[in-house]
Amino acid sequence: MNPLRAIFRAKSRMGAHSLRALRHESWLKIGVVGSAAIVLWFGALYGFAAGFMWLRLRGFAGEPPEDAISLAEILMARLLAIFALALFFMLIFSNVLIAFSTMYKAREVQYLLQAPIGLRTYFLARFTECVSFSSWASAYLGTPLILAYGYTTSAHWGYYLAAILFYVPFVAIPAAAGSVITFLLVRIFPRLPRVMLFALAAVVLVVLFVYLRQNFSVERLAESSIERLILQTTVQTQSPLLPSTWAAEGVLAAADANYSKAGFLWLLLSANALMAIWLAAEAAHWLFLPGFSAILGADRTSRHPIGRGILGRLELLLAFVRNAIRALVVKDIRLFWRDPIQWTQFFIFFGLMAAYIANLGNRSMEMASPAYRSWVASLNSGACALILASLTSRFIYPLISLEGFRFWILGLAPITRRQLVWQKFWLSVATTAPFTVGISFLSCVLLNVSTLHFSVTMYTIVCANFSLAGLAVGLGSLYPNFEEDNPARIVSGMGGTLNFLLSVAYITLVLGSQMMVLQWHAFGGYGAERYFTPTLAVVLVVNTLLSIAATFIPMRVGLRNLVATEF
Amino acid sequence: MIQIENLTKRFGTKTAVDSLNLEIPKGEFFCFLGPNGAGKTTTIKVLTGLMLPTSGTAAIGGFDVQKNPIEAKKLLGYIPDHPFLYEKLTGREFMYFVAGLHGMGEGGLKDDVEELLHTFDVDGVRDQLVENYSHRKQQKLSFASCFLHRPQVVIVDEPWVGLDPKNIRAVKTYLKRKTVEEGVTVLMSTHTLSIAEEVADRIGIINLGKLLCVGSVREIMKLEQSTPTSTLEDVFLELTKGDEVA
Repeated sequence: MNPLRAIFRAKSRMGAHSLRALRHESWLKIGVVGSAAIVLWFGALYGFAAGFMWLRLRGFAGEPPEDAISLAEILMARLLAIFALALFFMLIFSNVLIAFSTMYKAREVQYLLQAPIGLRTYFLARFTECVSFSSWASAYLGTPLILAYGYTTSAHWGYYLAAILFYVPFVAIPAAAGSVITFLLVRIFPRLPRVMLFALAAVVLVVLFVYLRQNFSVERLAESSIERLILQTTVQTQSPLLPSTWAAEGVLAAADANYSKAGFLWLLLSANALMAIWLAAEAAHWLFLPGFSAILGADRTSRHPIGRGILGRLELLLAFVRNAIRALVVKDIRLFWRDPIQWTQFFIFFGLMAAYIANLGNRSMEMASPAYRSWVASLNSGACALILASLTSRFIYPLISLEGFRFWILGLAPITRRQLVWQKFWLSVATTAPFTVGISFLSCVLLNVSTLHFSVTMYTIVCANFSLAGLAVGLGSLYPNFEEDNPARIVSGMGGTLNFLLSVAYITLVLGSQMMVLQWHAFGGYGAERYFTPTLAVVLVVNTLLSIAATFIPMRVGLRNLVATEF
Repeated sequence: MIQIENLTKRFGTKTAVDSLNLEIPKGEFFCFLGPNGAGKTTTIKVLTGLMLPTSGTAAIGGFDVQKNPIEAKKLLGYIPDHPFLYEKLTGREFMYFVAGLHGMGEGGLKDDVEELLHTFDVDGVRDQLVENYSHRKQQKLSFASCFLHRPQVVIVDEPWVGLDPKNIRAVKTYLKRKTVEEGVTVLMSTHTLSIAEEVADRIGIINLGKLLCVGSVREIMKLEQSTPTSTLEDVFLELTKGDEVA
């Protein structure tokens, strides 16, 4: 049998066995995850369809109606092209990461490489996995957009078929490009001095910043209509040299039943995809093994002497905390910091948010109405709380489960399970609160919102820190997974999904209700002040009670479960 | 069957294997001994084509593992200390996968698979997913799959992890029989000196990347002018004295 066929057959058998294993999973878990996926998909479909409809109906200010409709259609087609282009570059980026883990780091890599198969065969086997790993999410989130566009423009049926046919070669090109970039990075970068790496990263960031600043600055947004701005800016995304343009134009040609153009563009895309895969396979043949060999032999030993650096001095810095609790806190912080996957996500989320907030002190914002500023401040708090929810779900929820293999140490230590659970809670609040409270504070100050709005926002974001920590730690204790050492897998379980959904529900209720009352007031909706004050008071009381419930109920139930658990 | 000439492997400033020369003829059971970090695993990784040497060559059955990797690997079977198995495959599916990976035809394959599963006592669980196997069963399946394509050279890296005395004896006997009856060459890296002493035709002791001595147990004992009561362990510790890498 052909080795490549053997690998594909084994992978399909494994897929079938995994699907069959779903029978043994909790139906509640499947129901929760499945329902969430379906709701999200239909929500996206509704949102895209509503957006396209709005564009078609709104047209362009100052244009005759017939021109307005054609301009709206151009804009919609352009948005589709932007989506294809954004997807193209996102896929290149994600494929770099996926190719590295799939081709270099996965457990089966060494097994496959010691087998008598050529490196091109090895590449093709792993490349297929990379494509499937990287493309399913874009297919899931891209289909609502494609369907919404087709529905809004009453596209010909060929449009839907073309969307499927174009997708396969379209995702293969960035996957091949991502693989080649990975081979080059692994081959070249370990040899470069660290200063050179930082310099290169800085150059890339500066170029990106200058491009975004020139094309999407707040002044430009204020000067021109958003539709015009998008049309002017996106001319650059229509380059005939870009595969995303071929895909978008091909699919749009099929929507107009122009099959000769669609067929030509599909052949062009497919030919380039095959060429890209062939080039990547050749790159694998020449570049893969030297890079893999270097990684295999790389000395990753690092030393962390006590008393040096912040991590080395943590014990001293936390001298005021009781001994056993301090040891747990220091351990959790060290583990978090020594796993770059953890803290990079943390800083990327809050870094982006902080950069955006810092840019709010713009003149054009100052000119906006108080109601508008209040609206932006509320949305900022919502975004900040959602980031907090994703971080507590990703990092705090698995903390108790991750103690599973070490429970024999904790069991022998002079610490109760109650203290362990509350230690995780306070660690969560202490690490996330400075960021969330700081960002909300900056947002309110830079937007110059009223004292009332400022106070309510700060109160709510503090409550959110406690509530989301209580939900994450409490549900993490209620649904612990002591068999798993990988936080990502712990989070993807039923408890993790439930925690995230409840966190989002909490934010929607608390921040949504508060936002509605404040905005209604800002737009003068209450008529008299005497109606506003009691309404706000009721909302704040209900939100406070909700926050207390979200903090203490999961903690209590989770703790009871953990105390009853035998190891 | 295994030829290593002036093999050197450096990681930055550290030399893991230093001008290693070794030849292992057909049908020999060769044991590679050395403390942790001595260079055993690096040598094995070069021989299995996972790592490129800094200089020197390594060949299996006359095929240079760098220039003719596929031909060399066709002759090779490798059993790592922690075997990799696809957990979502059954034992039998895994065996057919390995056959496909080695480009084996269908003729006689079914009988070979069944025989090996029986030999290594995995036939009772052959249609269960590997994820349900005990570590011992997984190790046995790894052995069974290694011999499916009838390798002429078998490299075994510390195979005794997780095996009980009965299974250790079964594996020792099987490997020894392969060398004697079928002329298979075995290169085994181990820390278990008593087993090496028992099964090896020749032993090589490596430390800090250098091959310190090669020979039969008797020859090595003579080299070190040991006393009549000395064991291989005494000689090994004497040779690697003070050089253990952390």
